[in-house]
Amino acid sequence: MNFDFALVVSSLPLLLEGAFVTIQITAISVSLGICIGLFAGIARISHFWALRALAAVYVDFIRGTPLLVQIFLMYFALPVITGMRIDPFVAAITACSVNSGAYVAEIFRAGIQSIDEGQMEAGRSLGMSWSQTMRYVIVPQAFKRVIPPLGNEFIALLKDSSLVSVIGFEELTRRGQLIIARTYGSLEIWFSVAVLYLLMTLTISRFVAYLERRYKTDDRH
Amino acid sequence: MIDIKNLYKAFGEIKVLKGIDVSIAEKEVVVIIGPSGSGKSTLLRCINYLEEPTAGEIIVDKIPLNNESNINKVREEVGMVFQRFNLFPHMTVLENILLAPMKVRKLSKDVARADALSLLEKVGLSDKAQAYPAQLSGGQQQRVAIARALAMKPKIMLFDEPTSALDPEMVNEVLEVMKKLAKEGMTMVVVTHEMGFAREVGDRVLFVDDGKIVEQAAPAVIFEHPHEERTKLFLSKVL
Repeated sequence: MNFDFALVVSSLPLLLEGAFVTIQITAISVSLGICIGLFAGIARISHFWALRALAAVYVDFIRGTPLLVQIFLMYFALPVITGMRIDPFVAAITACSVNSGAYVAEIFRAGIQSIDEGQMEAGRSLGMSWSQTMRYVIVPQAFKRVIPPLGNEFIALLKDSSLVSVIGFEELTRRGQLIIARTYGSLEIWFSVAVLYLLMTLTISRFVAYLERRYKTDDRH
Repeated sequence: MIDIKNLYKAFGEIKVLKGIDVSIAEKEVVVIIGPSGSGKSTLLRCINYLEEPTAGEIIVDKIPLNNESNINKVREEVGMVFQRFNLFPHMTVLENILLAPMKVRKLSKDVARADALSLLEKVGLSDKAQAYPAQLSGGQQQRVAIARALAMKPKIMLFDEPTSALDPEMVNEVLEVMKKLAKEGMTMVVVTHEMGFAREVGDRVLFVDDGKIVEQAAPAVIFEHPHEERTKLFLSKVL
């Protein structure tokens, strides 16, 4: 077996560019996913059945179909309906955030439901509305509890973002494929790609552990 | 101040309140006593609509509790203190007290803060403004909860077994605050097992059993000369 370190070194700038794009997709999708997930999660426990049903359909559909298929739907099927070509970057980010939002919604729903009912009663008895109590009392407490599962979700999303390579979007995995097509260095390049993913996921999990520690000392509860 | 007519409440098949009629006057202190499961907490929780009545009419300060906006209006006028305090654990004591006046009454932070600090002084916790609830004893937490409710300047205060979750040595500090409130003329409805408090502070005692008001009278009457057999039986067990 011959491991060509020179190939790794010479490919590194291109791979790092790809890794940077992966970070971009993940960061944007995670942020959008949290927004979507927060609203969908609250909708899941809303008093309005239509909202509840809508959120349930969304969550079921996303969790019940592969992300790969969702990416194809977004990139190839949607333009057939709208008649407009969709930019790979937009398609990638939309698919990832909509996908992540469904998982985040379930995380938030569980987090919100884990907060003692007395908190909502206290807020309402002070004259605050349901949404005010959610916003100032329930969600901030739920947020701290969902940091660990949210962290897992982001790690999963970072890895799953490799799937958008199939629509030719040049993130880390796609960059690897392109370099291998030129150099035939499967061993070196896939190994480097794996290490880069590992570095990124380890960084996230450290960051999440840090957040968890920080909020625990704040809360004292 | 509070008018309750023909109030019924069922949880599914279980009938908890079976026709309650009661009027409570301004500045009156009404103490509700009765065995566990008699419906006394449910009755209290209907007054600010934390429980939705199955049937009946509730009018608080001339506002009928019949739509969402009236319910919110009534809740602004009615403070509530819970058995398990229900302070917001992620906020300091001061933030707990400031939240509703700022978000509901739209007071500026400075005005709300001045009010909050004087309320903390009133309940004897001026030094705890920056503490978190988990750093306080049960009695202190309950006093903060009272201050938090008072910050909305309510016309009526509801107390749902406010001392039941407390260690015995902390019961008095909470009762003292409640006595002070009663003396200042606050309209109060108190569900409690503290018969001493009922006797000393109550203007009227309601004995509730099996979803109905069995007997009501001034504390001296109900404790010394109860009419009903069920009242006698209950009092003989708790006094």
